[in-house]
Amino acid sequence: MAQDRFPGQGRFAGVGLGLRRPHLEEAAARPGHGVPFWETCPENVIGDGGRPHRDACAILDRDPVLTHGLAISVGGFDAWDLDYLHELGRFLARTGTPWHSEHLCFTSVDGSCLHELLPIPFTREAVRHTVARARDLQARLPVPLLLENITYYAELGQAEMDEAAFITEVLEGADVGWLLDVNNVYVNALNFGFDPKGWLARMPLERVAQLHIAGHTRFGTLTVDTHGADVIDPVIELMQWTLARLGRPVPVLLERDNHIPDLEDLLAERSRLQAAYDDVLAVPVRGEGHG
Amino acid sequence: MAEARTLTLQRALAALVLDPEGAAFEEDPAAFARSQGLPEADAVAFGRFPGGLAAYRELARLSLVDPIETMFPITKALLAGAGAWEACVDAFLQARCVASRHYRDIAPAFLGWLAETGWGQATWPYLLELAHAELLEVLVARFPEAALPQGLHSDPGPQDRLILDPATQVVSYRHAVHQTSEEAPVPEARPTHLLAYRDSVGRPQLMDLTPAAAALLVRAQMESLGEAAAALGLVDLAATWSLLKDLRGRGAIAGFQVAS
Repeated sequence: MAQDRFPGQGRFAGVGLGLRRPHLEEAAARPGHGVPFWETCPENVIGDGGRPHRDACAILDRDPVLTHGLAISVGGFDAWDLDYLHELGRFLARTGTPWHSEHLCFTSVDGSCLHELLPIPFTREAVRHTVARARDLQARLPVPLLLENITYYAELGQAEMDEAAFITEVLEGADVGWLLDVNNVYVNALNFGFDPKGWLARMPLERVAQLHIAGHTRFGTLTVDTHGADVIDPVIELMQWTLARLGRPVPVLLERDNHIPDLEDLLAERSRLQAAYDDVLAVPVRGEGHG
Repeated sequence: MAEARTLTLQRALAALVLDPEGAAFEEDPAAFARSQGLPEADAVAFGRFPGGLAAYRELARLSLVDPIETMFPITKALLAGAGAWEACVDAFLQARCVASRHYRDIAPAFLGWLAETGWGQATWPYLLELAHAELLEVLVARFPEAALPQGLHSDPGPQDRLILDPATQVVSYRHAVHQTSEEAPVPEARPTHLLAYRDSVGRPQLMDLTPAAAALLVRAQMESLGEAAAALGLVDLAATWSLLKDLRGRGAIAGFQVAS
């Protein structure tokens, strides 16, 4: 199913990096960087200008690219910005990305953008609403849509189902792919006290097209998905477990948005993750699916 | 609306993040939720996750405030020195004027809010100019590429009008806000004219202009250089052409074309 749904997926495997502003000049000048693909946020490129923008465009035109949106507010109520969606469609076509991912969350309320990934209530009403919005968004995009599971720090209102059921109902109701963030699963498991592998085993893994992996930070009793630290071994092990379960080499993206190290250090961490990726895919795997 | 409960919950979380009442949320989460019109079951649920919901207030506000603190360090130093920075940020967030999904637009939204509301300008009449000057080079550096008119030539003549590079801005202030620093954020009251432009490698540059030069750069976009120079009483045209050629060489002026 995954191969049929994402025909361009074969071009993307291994561990890629998020394209970040501090690295643009060096990455543009260094075609032999060894990164199999970049992930870029269209909001950071569309409508921008100047030298870093030119560097970003040079990389996007040269290297394999996946796209990942930050603030479309799939679960929100604000009307789509149709001009932006038009620009987004052109941008996706230009990059040649096989899919476009957005977060399963809301980011805007009554026209005000909060620039934070806010949790959708785990309710039947919210499922219906989000499914309708995701289907509508998918119809407006030139490539398949993926939705990403977020970290959440509180349930918003009285839940009628758990997170796993909510995500599954949205993905299946909207018939979209899944960008599975294994660090988010791990962080949620820490904050809410569940077994991440047991959680993943309940999920529709056949919908997974891509993985995210990142570092997190503990603040008191709460663990926050900061993207500001190295990936810890248990999260790498969860990535490997997931890849083995999937039984196919989906691309993994290392996210780093805070305390961004030099490109050389980030390349070294990417290599560490690539080795872990290669290790697990070098042996026979069990295959994907529920349970 | 069929999804009224979901929307009310989202509005409640936005209020928790942006409104002053959200600061006292943890004292009685359920009461806060009720004040937002939530039904009892949802209000009780707010009480089950006070730490997590409070984290959203902290994280989202950090996300919104970080680009402001980064882009306006001198404005922040000025207001923080008077104990007014937090109040300024609170008022900005409560105004909910960040509408753009582009993170880079948060700082311009703050500047727009200052201009629209006049916040603090009775006390600090140079506040808006100071904030504008802080953002100016960033706006110039990131100005989107734009097509230039065809047939521009490189040497100015009296019959020509000038075409600025699309990123170039000519600005005039009543205060020397470009000479402030975090240590000395209060500007001298002195009319100031600046040219902000991108150099040949795309870096933003700032140049002090005389009042006559600033006026020429503005007028000669709409009328011929000869007419503009005459209107401004510029008699040393050789010096004027030399300045214009220099600005073209620096990248501030895209070129010249015959005024129609």
